[in-house]
Amino acid sequence: MSAIEVITHPQVVERSLTKSQLRRIYTMRQLRWSDNHAITVFVLPSQDALHQRFAKERLQIFPYQLNRIWHKLTYSGLGVAPAVVKSEQELIQAVSNTPGAIGYISEATLIKLSQSYNNFSQGALNMDDGQKVSVKGVINVVKIKD
Amino acid sequence: MLSKLKINVAVEVSSRVNNLFCARFFLARTYLFVLLLVAGGATTVQADYANSQDFQLHGFISQGLIDVNGSDFVNDDGGLSAELTEIGLNASYQLTNKFRLAAQVVYLDGGNRYSQGARVDYALLDWSAFTNESWQANVYFGRFKNNHWLYSSSRDIPFARPSIILPQSVYFDGFRDIAVGSDGIAAKLSHSTDEYGNFDWQLSYGSSPISDEQTKNILSEYAQGTAEQDYDAQASIYWQPAFSPWRFGLSLLEAGFIYDQGGVGSGDVFFDSDFTFQFYTMNAIYEGEKWEFSGEIYQQRFTIDGFYFPAFQLDNMGQGFYLQSRYKLTQQLTLLARYEDFYLNKEDKDGKELQQITGGAIPYYFAFHKDITLGVNYDITSNFSMRMEYHWVKGAGRLTPVVVPNTIINNAEDWQMWAVQLMYWF
Repeated sequence: MSAIEVITHPQVVERSLTKSQLRRIYTMRQLRWSDNHAITVFVLPSQDALHQRFAKERLQIFPYQLNRIWHKLTYSGLGVAPAVVKSEQELIQAVSNTPGAIGYISEATLIKLSQSYNNFSQGALNMDDGQKVSVKGVINVVKIKD
Repeated sequence: MLSKLKINVAVEVSSRVNNLFCARFFLARTYLFVLLLVAGGATTVQADYANSQDFQLHGFISQGLIDVNGSDFVNDDGGLSAELTEIGLNASYQLTNKFRLAAQVVYLDGGNRYSQGARVDYALLDWSAFTNESWQANVYFGRFKNNHWLYSSSRDIPFARPSIILPQSVYFDGFRDIAVGSDGIAAKLSHSTDEYGNFDWQLSYGSSPISDEQTKNILSEYAQGTAEQDYDAQASIYWQPAFSPWRFGLSLLEAGFIYDQGGVGSGDVFFDSDFTFQFYTMNAIYEGEKWEFSGEIYQQRFTIDGFYFPAFQLDNMGQGFYLQSRYKLTQQLTLLARYEDFYLNKEDKDGKELQQITGGAIPYYFAFHKDITLGVNYDITSNFSMRMEYHWVKGAGRLTPVVVPNTIINNAEDWQMWAVQLMYWF
């Protein structure tokens, strides 16, 4: 099974996040990056297999718990919940087009994306500080620390 | 004789007004329905991520069937009813970095449970006073939702609450419009640490408007005066230990109400009065992968000064709890079991005193409410669910009207109901 990568908009200053930071961001308890830019969170539909895995493996929270937190924010006026997109393709597009955005995709999709980007822009694939792949200028891949 | 005549006239007038209202509500429901379809269509047509920026539009629609045997919980004739409609549409707009506008309109039809029609559920200005990596402070101005109890903010959101009918001792539908939120000011402070987990402190102060229909629902169908909520002050704290499946909460409420018979010439059989209501709850919830447990335990104090006659005094302490368990059989299928036990006066749990004092006019079973619920929820897609449940209820302590109960329809201690509901949201 392919690993799950956390991606951000290229202008996001954070290159790595701790597990609890990621959890705070997805449970809407941290709303700004360290440079005070607003965070925009993207997710796949709650029954999507990748979303289910992301919640359990990366956030260590059950998908139904996330739904509850987000529904409460959305339908009681308390705050704003993540935006739901239908596919990984749409998610990549959304993250690359939205300053301050964060999302997740499977490693397989990321490799495919970096290959096609690579072919297109002739070797712009950028590897730095332990990041496996980065599609520079399109999205950043964020390292998740314990 | 004269007062009887007046009542008859009033009833006739109000039923004509009701017919007119029904037509208007039906129209309102149709409008909302169309609006919702258009809104739903619009959000799917446009690229979805555009919805994430400054403007967000969400909504839900649900319809069910409910059948109550042995009480007037939903209707007076006891027949199968489609009066189980909940529709909502909300928008959130980020004005600036610090200010956000949010509002929701809901249309509810629950028969006798609450007044039928559309209402502004919340309409507020959210000021993000402070935010950093581990703290968030928000102040809400306007009409905000009660966020103090386990399910108080999601009681009208079919897919976000645990059952079609919530435990009535806490989430009493007869008090819905008063308890669901207030017009005023609310504040929320959230703190997250890796060592101690998540803390949420909340304060709110405001009041809710009370319609004449609600006055009749709560007090008596013969009440001709006006009821007003003077104030509603609430506080709560929630704590979830770091990376724990448990969460614990505490809440406090105090509210004051005034009843005005509207002068001697109003023909009202009731008198000017003050009511106070205090409510304290403790709750806990465990969220595991398969099992979920939750419960609330509470005490309430209800006082009346006046109403029946100018010197009348009442001071009742009620207590109750419910325990709820959910089990996720598969990713889509969830089972529910719940037990609820509540009595209005802790000195008179079996209601014998109530029956005696009223000379038998109010039977003993109006002193309590016990409910065993079994249910099942099926998530058809990420945005579409179906739910079914059955309730075995003992007691009439959570039926409307509250202060002067309807003992003719509610002539039995035991009653049952079942309900099914389909829910869609975006």
